[in-house]
Amino acid sequence: MDLHALQVALVKGIYAHSPVADLMHTRWGWPIAESLHFIGLCLLVGCVGTFDLRLLGLGRTAPIAAVHRLIPFGILGFVINATSGLMFLLTEPEQYIYNPSFHFKVLFLMIGGLNAGTFYLTSYRQLFGPEASLDAPFRAKVIATVSLCSWMCVIVGGRLLTFFRPGICDGVQNALLLTCAP
Amino acid sequence: MNLDPLLLWIENTALSKWLVESPSLLAFPTVLILHAIGMGFAAGIAVMFDLRVLGVAPHVPFAAMRRLFTVLWAGFWLNAASGLLLLWAYPTKALTNPVFYLKLVLIAVGMVLVARMSRDVLRDADRQVGLTAPQTASTRLRRLAILSMVCWAGAVTAGRLLAYTYHRLTQAEIF
Repeated sequence: MDLHALQVALVKGIYAHSPVADLMHTRWGWPIAESLHFIGLCLLVGCVGTFDLRLLGLGRTAPIAAVHRLIPFGILGFVINATSGLMFLLTEPEQYIYNPSFHFKVLFLMIGGLNAGTFYLTSYRQLFGPEASLDAPFRAKVIATVSLCSWMCVIVGGRLLTFFRPGICDGVQNALLLTCAP
Repeated sequence: MNLDPLLLWIENTALSKWLVESPSLLAFPTVLILHAIGMGFAAGIAVMFDLRVLGVAPHVPFAAMRRLFTVLWAGFWLNAASGLLLLWAYPTKALTNPVFYLKLVLIAVGMVLVARMSRDVLRDADRQVGLTAPQTASTRLRRLAILSMVCWAGAVTAGRLLAYTYHRLTQAEIF
Protein backbone atom coordinates (compact mmCIF):
# COMPACT_ATOMS: atom_id res chain seq x y z
CA MET A 1 0.00 0.00 0.00
CA ASP A 2 1.42 3.34 -1.05
CA LEU A 3 1.11 5.63 1.96
CA HIS A 4 1.78 8.75 -0.11
CA ALA A 5 -1.17 7.94 -2.40
CA LEU A 6 -3.33 7.28 0.64
CA GLN A 7 -2.44 10.70 2.09
CA VAL A 8 -3.24 12.44 -1.21
CA ALA A 9 -6.54 10.55 -1.53
CA LEU A 10 -7.50 11.47 2.06
CA VAL A 11 -6.85 15.17 1.47
CA LYS A 12 -8.80 15.12 -1.81
CA GLY A 13 -11.67 13.16 -0.33
CA ILE A 14 -11.97 15.45 2.68
CA TYR A 15 -11.88 18.61 0.57
CA ALA A 16 -14.60 17.15 -1.67
CA HIS A 17 -16.94 15.94 1.06
CA SER A 18 -16.16 17.77 4.33
CA PRO A 19 -19.41 18.23 6.24
CA VAL A 20 -18.02 20.77 8.72
CA ALA A 21 -15.78 23.15 6.73
CA ASP A 22 -18.49 25.80 6.29
CA LEU A 23 -19.26 25.80 10.00
CA MET A 24 -15.55 25.99 10.92
CA HIS A 25 -14.99 28.90 8.53
CA THR A 26 -17.53 31.11 10.32
CA ARG A 27 -16.05 33.89 12.48
CA TRP A 28 -16.03 31.94 15.76
CA GLY A 29 -16.17 28.33 14.50
CA TRP A 30 -12.45 27.62 14.68
CA PRO A 31 -11.75 29.54 17.94
CA ILE A 32 -14.62 27.80 19.75
CA ALA A 33 -13.45 24.37 18.56
CA GLU A 34 -9.92 25.23 19.76
CA SER A 35 -11.20 26.31 23.17
CA LEU A 36 -13.10 23.02 23.50
CA HIS A 37 -9.94 21.16 22.44
CA PHE A 38 -7.98 22.78 25.29
CA ILE A 39 -10.78 22.16 27.83
CA GLY A 40 -10.80 18.51 26.77
CA LEU A 41 -7.01 18.45 27.17
CA CYS A 42 -7.38 19.62 30.79
CA LEU A 43 -9.97 16.93 31.55
CA LEU A 44 -7.84 14.22 29.94
CA VAL A 45 -4.50 15.25 31.47
CA GLY A 46 -6.05 16.01 34.87
CA CYS A 47 -7.72 12.61 34.97
CA VAL A 48 -4.96 10.49 33.43
CA GLY A 49 -2.35 12.38 35.47
CA THR A 50 -4.23 11.82 38.73
CA PHE A 51 -4.75 8.12 38.04
CA ASP A 52 -1.23 7.42 36.72
CA LEU A 53 0.40 9.27 39.62
CA ARG A 54 -1.75 7.18 41.98
CA LEU A 55 -0.54 3.98 40.30
CA LEU A 56 3.00 5.28 40.82
CA GLY A 57 2.26 5.67 44.53
CA LEU A 58 1.14 9.29 44.96
CA GLY A 59 -1.59 9.47 47.64
CA ARG A 60 -1.47 5.73 48.28
CA THR A 61 -4.09 5.80 51.06
CA ALA A 62 -6.72 6.20 48.34
CA PRO A 63 -7.80 2.79 46.97
CA ILE A 64 -6.91 2.59 43.27
CA ALA A 65 -10.45 1.52 42.38
CA ALA A 66 -11.78 4.63 44.17
CA VAL A 67 -9.55 6.96 42.12
CA HIS A 68 -10.62 5.07 38.99
CA ARG A 69 -14.13 6.54 39.40
CA LEU A 70 -12.73 9.74 37.84
CA ILE A 71 -11.89 7.94 34.56
CA PRO A 72 -15.26 8.66 32.81
CA PHE A 73 -14.34 12.36 32.91
CA GLY A 74 -11.01 11.62 31.23
CA ILE A 75 -12.91 9.69 28.57
CA LEU A 76 -15.25 12.69 28.21
CA GLY A 77 -12.18 14.87 27.62
CA PHE A 78 -10.92 12.40 25.02
CA VAL A 79 -14.29 12.39 23.21
CA ILE A 80 -14.40 16.22 23.21
CA ASN A 81 -10.90 16.27 21.73
CA ALA A 82 -11.48 13.53 19.18
CA THR A 83 -14.56 15.44 17.97
CA SER A 84 -12.99 18.90 17.87
CA GLY A 85 -9.76 17.43 16.46
CA LEU A 86 -11.69 15.72 13.67
CA MET A 87 -13.35 19.06 12.89
CA PHE A 88 -9.91 20.67 12.37
CA LEU A 89 -8.82 17.76 10.20
CA LEU A 90 -11.99 17.84 8.11
CA THR A 91 -11.58 21.58 7.51
CA GLU A 92 -7.87 21.92 6.70
CA PRO A 93 -6.78 18.34 5.79
CA GLU A 94 -3.55 19.46 4.10
CA GLN A 95 -2.37 21.19 7.27
CA TYR A 96 -2.54 17.89 9.18
CA ILE A 97 -2.14 14.97 6.78
CA TYR A 98 1.20 16.31 5.49
CA ASN A 99 2.40 17.76 8.82
CA PRO A 100 5.24 15.77 10.50
CA SER A 101 4.16 17.12 13.89
CA PHE A 102 0.69 15.64 13.28
CA HIS A 103 2.28 12.27 12.40
CA PHE A 104 4.18 12.45 15.70
CA LYS A 105 0.97 13.30 17.56
CA VAL A 106 -1.04 10.45 16.01
CA LEU A 107 1.81 8.00 16.72
CA PHE A 108 1.70 8.84 20.43
CA LEU A 109 -2.11 8.83 20.45
CA MET A 110 -1.89 5.22 19.24
CA ILE A 111 0.79 4.36 21.81
CA GLY A 112 -1.33 5.97 24.55
CA GLY A 113 -4.42 4.06 23.40
CA LEU A 114 -2.67 0.67 23.14
CA ASN A 115 -1.01 1.30 26.49
CA ALA A 116 -4.38 1.98 28.16
CA GLY A 117 -5.76 -1.18 26.56
CA THR A 118 -2.79 -3.15 27.91
CA PHE A 119 -3.54 -1.82 31.39
CA TYR A 120 -7.09 -3.14 31.38
CA LEU A 121 -6.08 -6.47 29.84
CA THR A 122 -3.23 -7.17 32.27
CA SER A 123 -3.89 -5.38 35.54
CA TYR A 124 -7.63 -4.96 35.87
CA ARG A 125 -8.26 -8.05 38.01
CA GLN A 126 -5.36 -7.42 40.38
CA LEU A 127 -6.30 -3.78 41.00
CA PHE A 128 -10.07 -3.98 41.12
CA GLY A 129 -10.74 -7.46 42.47
CA PRO A 130 -11.84 -8.25 46.04
CA GLU A 131 -8.27 -8.65 47.32
CA ALA A 132 -6.89 -5.55 45.60
CA SER A 133 -3.75 -4.13 47.16
CA LEU A 134 -2.96 -0.44 47.76
CA ASP A 135 0.29 -0.87 45.83
CA ALA A 136 0.12 -1.27 42.07
CA PRO A 137 2.28 -4.09 40.65
CA PHE A 138 5.49 -3.08 38.86
CA ARG A 139 3.88 -3.78 35.48
CA ALA A 140 1.12 -1.25 36.18
CA LYS A 141 3.72 1.33 37.20
CA VAL A 142 5.52 0.87 33.89
CA ILE A 143 2.19 1.34 32.08
CA ALA A 144 1.49 4.49 34.12
CA THR A 145 4.89 5.94 33.19
CA VAL A 146 4.38 5.14 29.49
CA SER A 147 0.92 6.71 29.72
CA LEU A 148 2.17 9.98 31.26
CA CYS A 149 4.98 10.24 28.70
CA SER A 150 2.82 9.45 25.68
CA TRP A 151 0.06 11.97 26.56
CA MET A 152 2.78 14.56 27.14
CA CYS A 153 4.14 13.76 23.65
CA VAL A 154 0.62 14.17 22.22
CA ILE A 155 0.60 17.72 23.65
CA VAL A 156 4.07 18.38 22.22
CA GLY A 157 2.95 17.21 18.76
CA GLY A 158 -0.22 19.30 18.95
CA ARG A 159 1.53 22.44 20.09
CA LEU A 160 4.22 22.13 17.40
CA LEU A 161 1.72 21.78 14.50
CA THR A 162 1.97 25.44 13.54
CA PHE A 163 5.78 25.30 13.43
CA PHE A 164 5.79 22.43 10.90
CA ARG A 165 3.23 23.70 8.41
CA PRO A 166 3.79 21.67 5.21
CA GLY A 167 4.87 23.52 2.08
CA ILE A 168 4.69 22.46 -1.56
CA CYS A 169 6.79 19.39 -2.45
CA ASP A 170 10.06 19.99 -4.24
CA GLY A 171 11.66 16.99 -5.96
CA VAL A 172 11.24 13.27 -5.25
CA GLN A 173 9.88 12.32 -1.81
CA ASN A 174 11.41 9.14 -0.35
CA ALA A 175 10.27 9.33 3.27
CA LEU A 176 7.67 6.87 4.58
CA LEU A 177 5.06 9.64 4.80
CA LEU A 178 4.69 12.80 2.72
CA THR A 179 5.57 15.92 4.71
CA CYS A 180 4.70 18.38 1.94
CA ALA A 181 1.75 18.95 -0.38
CA PRO A 182 2.38 17.43 -3.84
CA MET B 1 -1.32 55.56 32.03
CA ASN B 2 0.75 55.15 28.89
CA LEU B 3 2.49 51.78 28.87
CA ASP B 4 4.01 52.15 25.41
CA PRO B 5 7.57 53.18 26.45
CA LEU B 6 7.74 50.22 28.85
CA LEU B 7 6.38 47.81 26.24
CA LEU B 8 8.83 49.12 23.66
CA TRP B 9 11.70 48.63 26.11
CA ILE B 10 10.61 45.03 26.82
CA GLU B 11 10.33 44.23 23.12
CA ASN B 12 13.88 45.49 22.58
CA THR B 13 15.46 43.35 25.30
CA ALA B 14 17.66 40.50 24.12
CA LEU B 15 15.38 37.92 25.79
CA SER B 16 12.26 39.20 24.02
CA LYS B 17 14.02 39.32 20.66
CA TRP B 18 15.40 35.80 21.14
CA LEU B 19 11.95 34.42 22.04
CA VAL B 20 10.30 36.04 19.02
CA GLU B 21 13.01 35.70 16.38
CA SER B 22 14.93 32.53 17.19
CA PRO B 23 14.22 29.70 14.73
CA SER B 24 15.11 27.21 17.50
CA LEU B 25 12.39 24.88 18.75
CA LEU B 26 13.86 25.54 22.21
CA ALA B 27 12.72 29.17 22.09
CA PHE B 28 9.05 30.10 21.63
CA PRO B 29 7.73 26.58 20.81
CA THR B 30 9.16 25.06 24.01
CA VAL B 31 7.65 27.82 26.14
CA LEU B 32 4.26 27.18 24.47
CA ILE B 33 4.56 23.44 25.13
CA LEU B 34 5.42 23.97 28.80
CA HIS B 35 2.46 26.36 29.10
CA ALA B 36 0.09 23.70 27.69
CA ILE B 37 1.46 20.94 29.96
CA GLY B 38 1.29 23.18 33.04
CA MET B 39 -2.30 24.05 32.10
CA GLY B 40 -3.22 20.37 31.89
CA PHE B 41 -1.88 19.68 35.37
CA ALA B 42 -3.06 22.89 37.09
CA ALA B 43 -6.55 23.27 35.60
CA GLY B 44 -6.99 19.51 35.09
CA ILE B 45 -6.19 18.50 38.67
CA ALA B 46 -8.22 21.44 40.02
CA VAL B 47 -11.24 20.12 38.10
CA MET B 48 -10.61 16.55 39.35
CA PHE B 49 -10.61 17.97 42.91
CA ASP B 50 -13.85 19.85 42.17
CA LEU B 51 -15.41 16.60 40.90
CA ARG B 52 -14.29 14.80 44.08
CA VAL B 53 -15.88 17.57 46.19
CA LEU B 54 -19.08 17.21 44.16
CA GLY B 55 -19.25 13.52 45.07
CA VAL B 56 -17.50 11.71 42.20
CA ALA B 57 -15.08 9.09 43.60
CA PRO B 58 -16.43 9.42 47.18
CA HIS B 59 -14.09 6.74 48.56
CA VAL B 60 -10.99 8.83 47.84
CA PRO B 61 -10.04 10.32 51.23
CA PHE B 62 -9.34 14.05 50.99
CA ALA B 63 -6.13 13.51 52.98
CA ALA B 64 -4.85 11.32 50.12
CA MET B 65 -5.07 14.32 47.77
CA ARG B 66 -2.47 16.33 49.68
CA ARG B 67 0.40 15.48 47.33
CA LEU B 68 -1.85 15.92 44.31
CA PHE B 69 -2.27 19.56 45.35
CA THR B 70 1.54 19.85 45.26
CA VAL B 71 1.46 18.66 41.63
CA LEU B 72 -1.31 21.17 40.90
CA TRP B 73 0.77 24.01 42.39
CA ALA B 74 3.82 22.84 40.42
CA GLY B 75 1.71 23.14 37.25
CA PHE B 76 0.61 26.60 38.33
CA TRP B 77 4.19 27.84 38.94
CA LEU B 78 5.36 26.28 35.67
CA ASN B 79 2.65 28.33 33.96
CA ALA B 80 3.38 31.49 35.89
CA ALA B 81 7.00 31.22 34.66
CA SER B 82 6.22 30.18 31.07
CA GLY B 83 3.40 32.74 30.97
CA LEU B 84 5.82 35.50 32.00
CA LEU B 85 8.10 34.46 29.14
CA LEU B 86 5.20 34.55 26.66
CA LEU B 87 4.28 37.99 28.02
CA TRP B 88 7.91 39.12 27.68
CA ALA B 89 7.88 37.97 24.04
CA TYR B 90 4.66 39.80 23.09
CA PRO B 91 3.85 42.35 25.85
CA THR B 92 1.85 44.71 23.60
CA LYS B 93 -0.27 41.88 22.24
CA ALA B 94 -1.31 40.77 25.74
CA LEU B 95 -1.48 44.01 27.71
CA THR B 96 -3.60 45.92 25.17
CA ASN B 97 -6.20 43.11 25.10
CA PRO B 98 -8.97 43.14 27.77
CA VAL B 99 -9.38 39.37 27.34
CA PHE B 100 -5.87 38.92 28.81
CA TYR B 101 -6.91 40.66 32.05
CA LEU B 102 -10.09 38.55 32.15
CA LYS B 103 -7.91 35.43 31.88
CA LEU B 104 -5.67 36.59 34.77
CA VAL B 105 -8.68 37.33 36.99
CA LEU B 106 -10.24 33.92 36.27
CA ILE B 107 -6.94 32.15 37.09
CA ALA B 108 -6.55 34.20 40.29
CA VAL B 109 -10.08 33.30 41.44
CA GLY B 110 -9.48 29.65 40.45
CA MET B 111 -6.26 29.43 42.48
CA VAL B 112 -7.74 31.23 45.52
CA LEU B 113 -10.58 28.68 45.42
CA VAL B 114 -8.09 25.78 45.19
CA ALA B 115 -6.12 27.16 48.14
CA ARG B 116 -9.16 27.73 50.36
CA MET B 117 -11.03 24.56 49.44
CA SER B 118 -7.98 22.32 49.82
CA ARG B 119 -7.18 23.92 53.20
CA ASP B 120 -10.77 23.27 54.35
CA VAL B 121 -10.96 19.63 53.26
CA LEU B 122 -7.49 18.81 54.61
CA ARG B 123 -8.32 20.37 57.99
CA ASP B 124 -11.52 18.32 58.16
CA ALA B 125 -9.65 15.23 56.94
CA ASP B 126 -7.13 15.55 59.77
CA ARG B 127 -10.01 15.42 62.26
CA GLN B 128 -11.39 12.28 60.60
CA VAL B 129 -8.22 10.19 60.63
CA GLY B 130 -9.10 6.52 60.85
CA LEU B 131 -12.58 6.90 59.38
CA THR B 132 -13.11 4.75 56.31
CA ALA B 133 -16.62 5.90 55.44
CA PRO B 134 -16.90 8.03 52.29
CA GLN B 135 -16.32 11.69 53.07
CA THR B 136 -18.80 14.21 51.75
CA ALA B 137 -18.24 17.94 51.34
CA SER B 138 -20.48 20.71 52.64
CA THR B 139 -23.01 22.47 50.40
CA ARG B 140 -20.82 25.59 50.57
CA LEU B 141 -17.81 23.65 49.24
CA ARG B 142 -19.90 22.08 46.50
CA ARG B 143 -20.99 25.53 45.32
CA LEU B 144 -17.37 26.69 45.32
CA ALA B 145 -16.42 23.58 43.30
CA ILE B 146 -18.93 24.54 40.60
CA LEU B 147 -17.62 28.12 40.60
CA SER B 148 -14.07 26.73 40.31
CA MET B 149 -14.93 24.63 37.25
CA VAL B 150 -16.58 27.65 35.60
CA CYS B 151 -13.43 29.72 36.29
CA TRP B 152 -11.11 27.12 34.77
CA ALA B 153 -13.25 26.62 31.67
CA GLY B 154 -13.36 30.41 31.32
CA ALA B 155 -9.61 30.85 31.87
CA VAL B 156 -8.75 28.20 29.27
CA THR B 157 -11.22 29.68 26.76
CA ALA B 158 -9.96 33.23 27.37
CA GLY B 159 -6.39 32.03 26.90
CA ARG B 160 -7.23 30.39 23.59
CA LEU B 161 -9.15 33.44 22.36
CA LEU B 162 -6.11 35.70 22.93
CA ALA B 163 -4.91 34.64 19.48
CA TYR B 164 -8.14 35.94 17.92
CA THR B 165 -8.93 39.09 19.92
CA TYR B 166 -5.73 41.17 20.06
CA HIS B 167 -5.62 44.62 18.47
CA ARG B 168 -1.88 45.33 18.35
CA LEU B 169 0.85 42.71 18.04
CA THR B 170 3.94 44.86 18.81
CA GLN B 171 4.99 48.48 19.33
CA ALA B 172 6.76 48.42 15.97
CA GLU B 173 3.37 48.68 14.29
CA ILE B 174 2.90 52.28 15.39
CA PHE B 175 6.45 53.60 15.34
